[in-house]
Amino acid sequence: MNVEPDAVESLSRREMPIGSEDDVVVVRRAVRALAQKRGFNAFASAALTTATSELTRNVWVHARKGIAILEEVADGGRIGVRVTFEDEGPGIVDLERALAGGFSTARTMGLGLSGSRRLVDAFRIDSAVGRGTTVEIVKWKEP
Amino acid sequence: MPHRHYMTALRLDESEIQTRRSYFELGDDDLARLRTLHGLAEKHTDEFIERFYEHLLRSASTRKFFPDDATIVRVKRAQRQYFLQLFEGRCDREYVQQRVAVGVAHEHVGLAPTWYLGAYRKYLALLQVRLFDDLPAAEAQAAFLSVQKIVFFDMTLALDTYIAAHQETLARHQAALRELSTPVIRVHDGVLLLPLVGAIDSARAQQVMDTVLLRVAEEKAKCIIVDIAGVPVVDTKVADSLVKTTASVRLLGAHTILTGISAQVARTIVHLGVDVSTMHTRARLQEGIELALDLVGKRIAPVRAKRSSGE
Repeated sequence: MNVEPDAVESLSRREMPIGSEDDVVVVRRAVRALAQKRGFNAFASAALTTATSELTRNVWVHARKGIAILEEVADGGRIGVRVTFEDEGPGIVDLERALAGGFSTARTMGLGLSGSRRLVDAFRIDSAVGRGTTVEIVKWKEP
Repeated sequence: MPHRHYMTALRLDESEIQTRRSYFELGDDDLARLRTLHGLAEKHTDEFIERFYEHLLRSASTRKFFPDDATIVRVKRAQRQYFLQLFEGRCDREYVQQRVAVGVAHEHVGLAPTWYLGAYRKYLALLQVRLFDDLPAAEAQAAFLSVQKIVFFDMTLALDTYIAAHQETLARHQAALRELSTPVIRVHDGVLLLPLVGAIDSARAQQVMDTVLLRVAEEKAKCIIVDIAGVPVVDTKVADSLVKTTASVRLLGAHTILTGISAQVARTIVHLGVDVSTMHTRARLQEGIELALDLVGKRIAPVRAKRSSGE
């Protein structure tokens, strides 16, 4: 699991509810707007937006509701976008298997978590069965 | 009749009317009291109407609903009748239907609840003053409470209908959009094209699959080109639906060609780990069309210049 340095400063914070499939589009549009505002290149912006799309949909599919916290962050000279997805859903039973990819409880490809992880620079997941899941991703703007 | 429809949609049968009445504490005694006030209401109605419309026409938000004098004359007459119906002391299905019709009309012209509730407040204020002018305080108080009950009863009917009508309008628009969103075009004998534009959610993914399969079968197509240049985000959900559509199309004996893949999308798909090897893929639509024609044994060739021999 990628470890993220603690010295990350939050420059802005916005909390968005996730409660319907439409929120997948609403949240990822907001994330794309942040990436564009910060001048991310097209690849980084597409990667961050796609990961957000996956993880927002995960909240909707598995927990039905939750929140996405969108932050602009700074770490020394770097600028990035951090998105945290929190839900109080069923949690992930076998985290290792879920992160390996190709395994799904929702009759889909099962690549959402593993794929998202490869699309971003930092990825942290915390899940407890019966209590919920928190996923945090960070994408840094390339210098 | 639209209000008939909403009577059914909102399940406004006798039992529902009774439930609502009991929640609003709108008893037979209230209805009887309202009947005794009919004369008083009639006496003041012209004044109420004048001042009510002064109020509505003063505000730009409501003035726009009354484009000309003829409209004002017409709605004043209807409004007069509406106010007097409050004092008929009836609360049956016919009465409820009249109130439901108000909600339908408001949704139809786009009069938001803010202005409807605000206008009703004005009426109550005018009425209260006259009740206390004309009646002993205790009677006026009782009368006002009865009026309040039926007015709130009315307002919830109009609002419930407004919301139901609004949701139906939205559903109609969504259905229309969905129809527009999967235009399958015949490019050549046996070759179809589906340009996808916009976000693809579960409902749309299903619809794309259904439309593609239907059209491939109908046209006995050999090839369908799916162009995703207009899809803003290709995540595993979108990829999954494309892969499944491809597999189903193959069962019908046809090929799927995916085009309109940008550099970012190509990189994202690879990072996601999605296997698109079952699909023919081309970066641009033009190359997709060339491949499709090749698969049906045709090709685009330059025209032999005839001009040189003629002149």
